[in-house]
Amino acid sequence: MEQRAVQTQYAAGHGDPKKDAGSGTTCTGEVNGERTAAAASSSSSAVTEGWREERTRSVEDNEMSRPGLAAAYRTILSGLGEDPQRQGLLKTPLRAATAMQFFTKGYQEKIIDVLNDAIFDEDHDEMVIVKDIDMFSMCEHHLVPIFGRVHIGYLPNKRVLGLSKLARIVEIYSRRLQVQERLTKQIAVAITEALKPAGVGVVIEATHMCMVMRGVQKMNSKTVTSTMLGVFREDAKTRDEFLTLIRS
Amino acid sequence: MEYRTASETNGKHVAEYQNGFNADLHVQEEEGGRAGETETWSKLSRIQRAYSTVLTELGEDVDREGLLRTPLRAAKAMQFLTKGYHETTQEILNDAIFDENHDEMVIVKDIDLFSLCEHHLVPFFGKVHIAYLPNKKVVGLSKLARIVEIYSRRLQVQERLSKQIAIAISEALEPAGVAVVIEATHMCMVMRGVQKMNSKTVTSVMLGTFQEDPKTREEFLSLIRKN
Repeated sequence: MEQRAVQTQYAAGHGDPKKDAGSGTTCTGEVNGERTAAAASSSSSAVTEGWREERTRSVEDNEMSRPGLAAAYRTILSGLGEDPQRQGLLKTPLRAATAMQFFTKGYQEKIIDVLNDAIFDEDHDEMVIVKDIDMFSMCEHHLVPIFGRVHIGYLPNKRVLGLSKLARIVEIYSRRLQVQERLTKQIAVAITEALKPAGVGVVIEATHMCMVMRGVQKMNSKTVTSTMLGVFREDAKTRDEFLTLIRS
Repeated sequence: MEYRTASETNGKHVAEYQNGFNADLHVQEEEGGRAGETETWSKLSRIQRAYSTVLTELGEDVDREGLLRTPLRAAKAMQFLTKGYHETTQEILNDAIFDENHDEMVIVKDIDLFSLCEHHLVPFFGKVHIAYLPNKKVVGLSKLARIVEIYSRRLQVQERLSKQIAIAISEALEPAGVAVVIEATHMCMVMRGVQKMNSKTVTSVMLGTFQEDPKTREEFLSLIRKN
């Protein structure tokens, strides 16, 4: 019964689950062309409308699903040939379940909760960069960690954002089952919709444990993705300035 | 410690557990290799179903494109990351021990290590530095790295991992001394919990001459220091 409750809550959390099913990004608050246009059209309540139904999980859901998660982990442990009754593994299913819920806590949070009060009117139109934000995510294909750094730059259009809020936006989207390309885009679009800046640039460089610990096993490989919106995309010089400043 | 020799460590224990486990799966022994495959496949599908449950309980949509085959991939990944349970030191070492009239320190350092924390099922990774003082028997150098692989590709605790590596080399070569130092970053501390990004855990095991003679230990530790 708890499972159905979870799924119902999930289904209620999105406007058209059927429509989004094909796009493959239902659960991560993806902003497709339609939604962005709709959000952009209403300027004053853009923050509320764009991020209306993002949260698909609550703290109560976590409590309810933890026993099921722990049971699943116990099955995994015995399936791997380990003895779940030995001292070191006795409480592991519960710890692993709680850890996994922590690694996907982005599903419990909404942008609007994090941002609503930290947007300030400031007569500033020079580039603002917050770089070297440590990022930890989970590969949605192998359920293995991804970690790296995020560099964010934006050109304010009379509205600036509390600096830690950029890091909090990163947290909300990275603490999910993710694909690095989608993560980069989501962060960029979130900032765009919240602030309406002249431009946003997001660069993520990350190490994927699924490539390092298994598979090809290339220890030193890094994956770099970037999203440039607005002036960052149109004007090469602005983009250059951003990329130089994050390199130094 | 709950074990004294490498053979008593989780490798053998796990094999015994697996044998008892096989009976539950009604594996036909006379089928030989086919039975092995069937048993492996049914284990894989159990793990797969467990991962499907995990995804659903986390609130994700298992039918979306990116997650369709994730239970299978995650199950296979987990099996790879715990493949050390199916390997033994004897298998990989038996033919690479050579008689050599050498009694100076042999060090293999900066061996990349990847393991899984047995408490949170989250990776920890780092470097292993191994040294031994041969007693007329030397081992192929890559075998030291393979020993690390056997013991690290398991659900581990860093202290036990260092000890297992040291004891495995001790038992195989009977050298005058063995030293193992592991420095690792634990994702369970970095990604969650206290969230200390730059913390490293260092454990070491010194056996034989390395334990008794401080000068030998000093030499080893200075040689593995980053210059």
